[in-house]
Amino acid sequence: MSRYLAIFRTFARACLVRDMTFRANFLLECLTSLGWMSMNLAFYLLVFTFTPEIGAGSGWTKAPFFAFVGTGLIVNSIVQALFMPSAEELTEMVRTGGLDAVLVQPLDAQFLVSMHRVDFSSFANGLVGVGLVAWAVPRLEHAPGPIAWLVYPLTILCGVAILYGLVIMLAAATILMGRNQSLYDFWFYLTNFSRYPAEIYAGPWGGPLRAVCTFVIPILLVVNVPARVLARPLAGEAWWAVVTALLAACASLAVSRAVFQAALARYRSASS
Amino acid sequence: MSGRSVPLEPDRHVASPRLLEGLRVWCTMLAICLEERLVYRGDFLLGTAMRFLPIVTQIFLWTAVFSATSRADIAGYTRDDVVAYYLLTMLTRAFSSMPGLAGGIARSIRDGSIKKFLVQPVDFIGFLLAARVAHKLVYYAVAIVPFAAVFLLCRGYFPPPPDAPTVLVFLASLVLAFLLGFFMEATLGMLGFWVLEVSSIVFGYMLVQYLLSGHMFPIDMLAGIPTGIPGVNVADLVQWLPFGYTAYFPAAVWLGKIEGEELFRALAVEVGWVVVMAIACRAAWHRGTRRYGAFGG
Amino acid sequence: MDNSASRSKSESTPVIEVEGLAKEYRVHDKPEGLAASVRSLFHRTSRVVEALRGVDLRVGRGEFVALLGPNGAGKTTFLKLLSGIITPSRGTARVLGHVPWVRENEFRRRFALVMGQRNQLWWDLPAAESFRLHREIYRIEPSRFTRVRDELVDLLGVRQLVLQPVRELSLGERMKLELVAALLHEPEVLFLDEPTIGLDVVAQHTIHAFLRHVQAERRVTVMLTTHYMKDVAALCERVIVITHGDILYDGSLADIVDRFTTHKIVTLDLDEVPSPARVARYGFPCEVRGPRVVLRVDRGRIAEVLPDILRDEGVRDVSVEDVPLEEIVAELFRSTRTRPVGAPAGAAP
Repeated sequence: MSRYLAIFRTFARACLVRDMTFRANFLLECLTSLGWMSMNLAFYLLVFTFTPEIGAGSGWTKAPFFAFVGTGLIVNSIVQALFMPSAEELTEMVRTGGLDAVLVQPLDAQFLVSMHRVDFSSFANGLVGVGLVAWAVPRLEHAPGPIAWLVYPLTILCGVAILYGLVIMLAAATILMGRNQSLYDFWFYLTNFSRYPAEIYAGPWGGPLRAVCTFVIPILLVVNVPARVLARPLAGEAWWAVVTALLAACASLAVSRAVFQAALARYRSASS
Repeated sequence: MSGRSVPLEPDRHVASPRLLEGLRVWCTMLAICLEERLVYRGDFLLGTAMRFLPIVTQIFLWTAVFSATSRADIAGYTRDDVVAYYLLTMLTRAFSSMPGLAGGIARSIRDGSIKKFLVQPVDFIGFLLAARVAHKLVYYAVAIVPFAAVFLLCRGYFPPPPDAPTVLVFLASLVLAFLLGFFMEATLGMLGFWVLEVSSIVFGYMLVQYLLSGHMFPIDMLAGIPTGIPGVNVADLVQWLPFGYTAYFPAAVWLGKIEGEELFRALAVEVGWVVVMAIACRAAWHRGTRRYGAFGG
Repeated sequence: MDNSASRSKSESTPVIEVEGLAKEYRVHDKPEGLAASVRSLFHRTSRVVEALRGVDLRVGRGEFVALLGPNGAGKTTFLKLLSGIITPSRGTARVLGHVPWVRENEFRRRFALVMGQRNQLWWDLPAAESFRLHREIYRIEPSRFTRVRDELVDLLGVRQLVLQPVRELSLGERMKLELVAALLHEPEVLFLDEPTIGLDVVAQHTIHAFLRHVQAERRVTVMLTTHYMKDVAALCERVIVITHGDILYDGSLADIVDRFTTHKIVTLDLDEVPSPARVARYGFPCEVRGPRVVLRVDRGRIAEVLPDILRDEGVRDVSVEDVPLEEIVAELFRSTRTRPVGAPAGAAP
């Protein structure tokens, strides 16, 4: 374990050195993600000029909603920074045979494939997320208690684990199919479902959709559970949500690991 | 049999060589585009279908917004109007979006492959336009399946179809949206003659485009936001900019949001922007290639 | 085909042991042309390609083996199977007593793979950073790491390049650093896939000398694929020729010349320009350019022909050589090319 930490530190260090070598590019990437994020914030602000709440009786008024958005930014920036750049590079590695070099090293292939690159610019959004949460918390009706503050980071980790499992499944699909552009689009469209409170998925279509996105592909638990822990009193049903998120995180890690191993056994390697 | 094997022998067509030749080149291009699509058909169908997914969340979001507010409409849009609006912008963006155009031009300037067009007897902008038309036609030929399915499924959200003249204006606005999108992106790409890294400019353009084209929300919803100038709100300003014509305008025409005199003014503004951008594009090409020739690639 | 010779030659405990190793791929045909791609919407044709068709092999400790064969013969597939990158369709293999495709860490710590066409160092960083990473991955003791690194770097004369970003280096310099990285953990088996591809002669020589030294010093078992006969002549005592997924020849480099050539090349510098008919008495004239004549003479007749030539012609200079290795190998590759390739599913090869 400590060896893996040491290796990860080496990776992170190398990426930081690289980012600092191309500083202008790094700043541009920070601006890029900040730009998209502020567009979305502007949209939410506009929506709140028309309505006091998103979903009648849902309780997602302005302050809780922005706590939700901030939590989403934190979770996503962690995934974007730590796992996505490596996974995106995987297509190239499969195409050029770079994956071969990974497979001959005495190291867990999943670790190398998912963590060899760190994108520090993605943390910019996470910082804004922290800022949003800090702005929203004092404005909440129910101030989160000490237990909520303990459970909050835990559920954020669950969210990260669920998304990590999805990234690994994508990586497995890439190894099997050799290319994956639509798959990455699919990832973004899928995580899109996690961007709003689960309550909006109501009615004859929304109910089943919500069930699928909670229990089959647990994407709705990613942001909803931690945001709820922060913005709502932590009692009764809320604990069930936390337990569900924990179980979903474990399942996501286990299933994706199995799928990834199966994919590696079928790896064809690019011909040279 | 193969579209690729169409021979290009201009000498044979004495009657009207240029036109026929152009047509043949274009047919070849069309066939190759179609082939490409068919090879990656799985990716392509999946990709097109997936583009509707964000709309699903948008519909649920707006349904939730309407459920919590006491008003029947927001800026003149009922809940059904909003759904119809988002679906229509999908359609309009299928005309106006030009994936890879600016980036592709900038790249070929950077890596020098643009030289090919300086040497060959082909008009670069004409070539790009023809390629784009071929590309789009093929796209529609395949994408019509998921589009038709979604529109049929959601037909309940649409108001009764507008009268024939409005439909004609709608169709015209789609074609204009295509041209406007093309010339704007092509001009951006030509900036590659002066700036090494165009991607940051393209990125800025996409941000503005995303916010002001109506892709994110109907831009007349901005009418409630004052600009500071008395009597003028943000929506009033935005309608003079080109962006709205690539997503908002055709959808608004179909939904009957813009009528009468206003409609003609908007159409005139759009035509104006198409002309301006076409001239800008050509000017950029002329100045750019002159500069390129002077400094060497 | 004929493995008995090599089997008796290898040592008692083989480092590499392969039996009936086969790899098949299913490939989908991507048709060209519009009509064909429309047809393929409904019906996709695929066929099985046999990259390797049941290979047997034993390699002893400290051997230096060259894998030769035309492109697509299955050399790289073979190396990938032995390094555990891909799993075989049939057959068994053991490298250092491990089944490679199980990918145990103990196994992976004991060998290295270098691919000449692929860069394994961090592109934007100095090679020293990649070396550090290797130290962590292979758990090399710091003192041993420093000793081995310094030794390798000095052997290749690249000490001053270690701190320069890899992207600023030339192909040859990069290859040398790749080799250093691959040998840092002192592997017992080294697989080299075209290590000298695209390099200039000087760099090739440096790498030859380096590999010879490393192999002699550490008794590393090396298996290399290459298209350059210079590599083979400089490094390998044993040669394996693969074509169409089969081993066609396995034996020493010297034997390959004995077995597959029937003649030698005799080059003469004469006093005067000879008539073609006259020199044709001695052998087949490949080339007659002025007073210089190149003849192909049957190996058996050399002893009787040479005295005749020296007696009857005014000879300034004479040389007798084996047919160049390149030619023999090219002939070997060609000899089986006409053989039908296994192509089920009714597709033409």
